[in-house]
Amino acid sequence: MEEIKAKSIDQATQEILRKAKEENIKTAWERLEAQQPQCGFGQLGLCCTICNMGPCRIDPFGEGAQMGVCGANQDTIAARNLARKIAAGAAAHSDHGRDVAETLSLMAKGQAHDYAILDIEKLKALAEEFDIDTHRNEKEIVQELARKLLAEFGRQEAELVFLTRAPKKRQAIWKKLGILPRGIDREIVELLHTTNMGVDNDYRNLITTSLCCALSDGWGGSMVATELQDIILGSPQPVRGKVNLGVLKKDYVNVVVHGHEPILSEMAVKASQDAELIKLAKSKGAQGINLAGICCTANEVLMRHGIPVAGNFLQQELAIITGAVEVMMVDAQCIMPALKEVASCFHTKLITTNPKARFPGVIHIEFHPEKAYEVAKEIIKLAIENFSNRDKDRVDIPKQEVDLVSGFTKEIIFQILGGRYRASYKPLNEAIISGRLRGVAGVVGCNNPKQTHDYFHTTLVKELIKNDVLVLQTGCSAIASAKQGLLIPEAAEAYAGKGLKEICEAVGIPPVLHLGSCVDNSRILTAASQIIAEGGLGEDLSDLPAAGCAPEWMSEKALAIGFYFVASGIYTIFGASPFPILGSKNLTDYLTSGLEQLIGGRFEFCADPLKMARLMLEHIDKKRQALNLRPVMYA
Amino acid sequence: MKQLYYKVDKCLGCKSCEIACAVAHSLSGELFNTLQEEVLSLPRKKVLYYKDKNYPVSCRHCKEPKCVDACMAKALVYDKEKGMVLHDTERCVGCWMCVMVCPYAAIRPNLKTKIPLRCDRCNDKDNPACVEACPTGAIIWQEETGLRV
Amino acid sequence: MRQFVIIGNSAAGIAAVEGIRKKDRNSKIIVISDEDYLSYCRCLISYYLAGEVKEEKIFYRPESFYKDNNVELFLNKKVSRVEPKKNRLICEDKSIFGYDCLLIATGARPKFPDIPGIKKRGVFGFRTLKDAKEIAGVLALTKTACILGGGLIGLKAASALKKRNVEVKVVVKSKQVLSQMLDFEAANFVLRQLEKNGIEVIFGQDVSEIIGNGDIKAVKLESGKVFGCSLVIVGKGILPNIDLIKETEINTNEGICVDNLLNTNVSNIYAAGDCAQTLDVTTGTSSVNALWPIAVEEGRIAGRNMAGENISYDGSLGMNSLEVFGLPVVSLGIYKIKEDLASQFEELKFQDPKANIYKKLILKDNLLVGAILVGDIKNSGLFLKIIREKINVTSFKERLLKDNFGFPEIMDLVNARSKLYV
Repeated sequence: MEEIKAKSIDQATQEILRKAKEENIKTAWERLEAQQPQCGFGQLGLCCTICNMGPCRIDPFGEGAQMGVCGANQDTIAARNLARKIAAGAAAHSDHGRDVAETLSLMAKGQAHDYAILDIEKLKALAEEFDIDTHRNEKEIVQELARKLLAEFGRQEAELVFLTRAPKKRQAIWKKLGILPRGIDREIVELLHTTNMGVDNDYRNLITTSLCCALSDGWGGSMVATELQDIILGSPQPVRGKVNLGVLKKDYVNVVVHGHEPILSEMAVKASQDAELIKLAKSKGAQGINLAGICCTANEVLMRHGIPVAGNFLQQELAIITGAVEVMMVDAQCIMPALKEVASCFHTKLITTNPKARFPGVIHIEFHPEKAYEVAKEIIKLAIENFSNRDKDRVDIPKQEVDLVSGFTKEIIFQILGGRYRASYKPLNEAIISGRLRGVAGVVGCNNPKQTHDYFHTTLVKELIKNDVLVLQTGCSAIASAKQGLLIPEAAEAYAGKGLKEICEAVGIPPVLHLGSCVDNSRILTAASQIIAEGGLGEDLSDLPAAGCAPEWMSEKALAIGFYFVASGIYTIFGASPFPILGSKNLTDYLTSGLEQLIGGRFEFCADPLKMARLMLEHIDKKRQALNLRPVMYA
Repeated sequence: MKQLYYKVDKCLGCKSCEIACAVAHSLSGELFNTLQEEVLSLPRKKVLYYKDKNYPVSCRHCKEPKCVDACMAKALVYDKEKGMVLHDTERCVGCWMCVMVCPYAAIRPNLKTKIPLRCDRCNDKDNPACVEACPTGAIIWQEETGLRV
Repeated sequence: MRQFVIIGNSAAGIAAVEGIRKKDRNSKIIVISDEDYLSYCRCLISYYLAGEVKEEKIFYRPESFYKDNNVELFLNKKVSRVEPKKNRLICEDKSIFGYDCLLIATGARPKFPDIPGIKKRGVFGFRTLKDAKEIAGVLALTKTACILGGGLIGLKAASALKKRNVEVKVVVKSKQVLSQMLDFEAANFVLRQLEKNGIEVIFGQDVSEIIGNGDIKAVKLESGKVFGCSLVIVGKGILPNIDLIKETEINTNEGICVDNLLNTNVSNIYAAGDCAQTLDVTTGTSSVNALWPIAVEEGRIAGRNMAGENISYDGSLGMNSLEVFGLPVVSLGIYKIKEDLASQFEELKFQDPKANIYKKLILKDNLLVGAILVGDIKNSGLFLKIIREKINVTSFKERLLKDNFGFPEIMDLVNARSKLYV
């Protein structure tokens, strides 16, 4: 295989990688190569740098040291390392959620006047969940809700309100295991505490604490982020959009938003449509302003406004290498430090906006909800002014630009399936019960240059829909499928099995539903709970004919997501590179098998997308059997 | 004839060479699966520490190898052309005579398989696994006469 | 063109052929052996008996070795005497060989105690392939075997027989096994391993009689106790084969005395291997150190010197390596200190009975003179080097027995400097 084809199956990516090679611009793939060999101790989770008696390593071959200086063995070391990553992942999602809640709080105080409540229905529904009298005026409701949501972070006792969304049986399991999260921050702090030198030395107990922390993310921080973003920015509706580097426009001022937090990028969308700014752009010789996104910020603005997506995680550098990007404005998470270097090869201005996420020597225009639109306009103006600096001879925009439909939320699935006036999950449940649908799968997560970019995501998704499994996607995984044309209703005809095709055709949906960003994985949890509530598919999330997978994961956030899926009873596969824990056989066995007894879900590590699909299908069939469902209609 | 040299100032003691060696001599040739194999592949190289420096130690294929003399099973032969001590594991009975006489303690007894472990310079591969694995370029694989440091 | 004659076709003899041929490709070499086989790996007979090594893998050199090295080989021919003055030797079959230069590499033979019944059918030494084959031949009819002596040969025979499902009892005169290579504590590690694997060892006893009419029925111990067995293997030490020079002017003691060139006091007669007595570097005295690697080393040097080189042998030392049902054991140099000399020596010891590890080093004036290693033998070669090169260990004495002690620590102290570390 040509070297570049081994790097990515995406043609636009291949094209830009060829350009990068010619111009000797290094990307993540070259840096991965330069990192070889990657440390085996690290890969196996056997390196401990927690205390300063170390760093310590456990010899995986049993000849050398079998204990760190403190006496920690391979099980303790691998579990502590893993737990810290989960805490970090949960912290990222939850701190994002907190920032949204703070914005809501500022709105209530009348200090964030650029924003308004765009989904009042949802505001009221949420207020009811939090025991707020919805007959009060909107401002009071918002004030009270913001206070109560922020309190979820610092809560010290009882448990998070959102946990009650889960099926009763699931809540009982959490209670029995003592892993009902109390406060979002508290669980992260507690997990970090237990991983200190000389605190928790029992790998099983460390995993229990980790599960609790992850729950505080999935049913806490991430859920706060999703719900509030819907309320402030508007709940997504099915929307058509376009994806891949081809969405960058040659004659336009191209502004790329990248990161995860949509509060500012929402304003960038507005600013890009500002008549005065468009006029300014035209005065500079551009035809207009073209906004596009990368990573989850892209998913957010796509879901709500149909803003085109330039690419997923591994394409962030490539967008700049097209030579056509005036400004890349970034907020937080998954923003490669390498961007500064790559941007310096072009006229592109990299602009950081989040006070938590800065680069030395990079323009920083700090975002404050109080003057959101002003900041956004300033950035767009910078982009317009930069247009004339573009070297037109170095512009290479791949032609790939693929249609997609996005904007599915738990409420939308509800409505689409049941119709606006009898919104219900019943048709979905019935489809599964009757065997027309085999089951549901969540395919989520990042890219990782360790494996062929997008290949795992799309191979797995195709195989699942071929076997009549409805696939729910978020994050960079959804973007991968979108680029391969899987997010359009027509994809059902081309790729879906007969049963799934029938459903897609009947209701006009794609066989693969894009649910949003990675904090929107919380939508999957709520949707799954509502499927259980609808009846006929068991009493617990672990009864569902469903499975999860992060085929190309790389981030600590993916670990947190994996853990809250498993803690919620879902069988979850992690792709290519397993967790860095294989040096501990006990821990590996526990996560991949022992855990199931305890919590109904477990992990699997698999480095082959077709095998992943087979394992997921087997699991779904096992659950169908346990529910005594009819055989799959079109096996 | 090529020999392995070590720039000790560059060796950080990460033991990547040890791991790469074990993996290279495993059935799967891949880290994660190596640890799952029934007979655990063990490294033929060990990094030892002495006075603030790290020294990878493995068989240096002496021209007058004591181990070959000591081998009572004729499992060891010095191949002049290759400049290597060849180890016929089929003939080897695990008497540990070679371990007993190796002045560098570079032959390691694998008590499980009862076969001593020694560097085979990854046989026919262009570069031994340890050379490729070294992240700092501390292991040099070059002609004995052409050493430039 | 000279005529080299080598008596003996094992480790030392073969190494001598290779030593001579290093320098002299043309002269005639005659090798005379009283055995019926091409050169084989003598130490492998226990593995052969245990069924772990097939006969075709036991040969030490390929058949073509003799032709390739232009060697005339005589098998089944026992030299009865050497006549140094006439530069010739006479065989039992009356044949006569003249030589310009002679190597005596006749090895050794088992010592048989002088007790009633020792000549009975079913009593074997355990030294030759023939012994092993004959023992293997009677195994089908053997339920219980008795091993006389708890030395290396006895234990190797015992292990082999046990692996062939024969009940084994080892009768040892002293209070420990391997009294010629281990101290009492180390021997106990070995004993536990033997017992764990079903071998019974009886201490403080000799066999006083082997009972049976024709075939063996039982052995009787000094205590009067009798136990049944149909096979007896004698492992009570060895005697150098030096009868063939008994009536000559060649100096002998326990074995044939040689100088540092492996030359006897007769200028064209050399000796090497188990029949030769060389300088022991740890004791400073002259002694027979019967061991395969030593025989190879001596044979090679003797051969090269016979061919006109002038290579000095820096002496041998008592050492051995043994594997007892998976437990590795190595002994180097001085392994036991006589009580009255205890003040002159220093002992360094490490033991971990749970892990089956016992390590002891013996030092004299900060020089390493001996080592016993049980369970963890990986640094034995390093210790051997330190002993041989008389490296003063004062500065790293407490490091010697550490798990991560290694070559780098003595790198700057050894004779030949390492060129690999740059």
